[in-house]
Amino acid sequence: MSQPTDLATDPVRPWTRPAVLVPVFAVLALVGGFFPSFSIEANLYMIALGGVFAWLGLSGRVPRRPPAPVGRGAAWWLVPALLLAGVELVDFLLGSTDAHPTLSLLADPVLDRYVARAAGYFGWLTVFWGLVRR
Amino acid sequence: MSVTRVLAIGGFALVAVLVAVVEWVARRENSRVPTLGELCGFVMEYRAGNVPVGRIALYGFWWWLGWHFFAR
Repeated sequence: MSQPTDLATDPVRPWTRPAVLVPVFAVLALVGGFFPSFSIEANLYMIALGGVFAWLGLSGRVPRRPPAPVGRGAAWWLVPALLLAGVELVDFLLGSTDAHPTLSLLADPVLDRYVARAAGYFGWLTVFWGLVRR
Repeated sequence: MSVTRVLAIGGFALVAVLVAVVEWVARRENSRVPTLGELCGFVMEYRAGNVPVGRIALYGFWWWLGWHFFAR
């Protein structure tokens, strides 16, 4: 029986340890926090970061955790997912205004602040890394 | 602040609470509910032939989400 070709088996990758990655992500987030929305710098930075993560994940260069079996209990995740989709869709269809704000409209004034923006970048990077490791 | 705005914010807050509750249930011993990470891992295992469709879809979604909040 052949093994999946993209399932890396070598767990020894010193640069994938949290002691290395957390400071790297922190620096990347602190830099990203300086780039305002709609700027060329922010777009290029996002393209570069996403590109590296997607390449790492799709090329199988990073060891992955073995997948866990998923049963019918996964349906419980539909509860928050459908509620989020419903609220977001209704507010979007009603124009995404102050009276009917979408999530991004609510997030914009928060992410205008450097600390929140850098923290958001850090969270985004950490979750993306989590996806790469899965 | 209008009632509809409060309802919208309350809806998003409720989503956050529900995510936390389901994740907490999933992390209990012998839980039948997978964690969000396990669910993502399951989705990313989906392939169409040799194309890792699930992985591309989740990476693409997360990439787009970052662009949407930080670059657009």
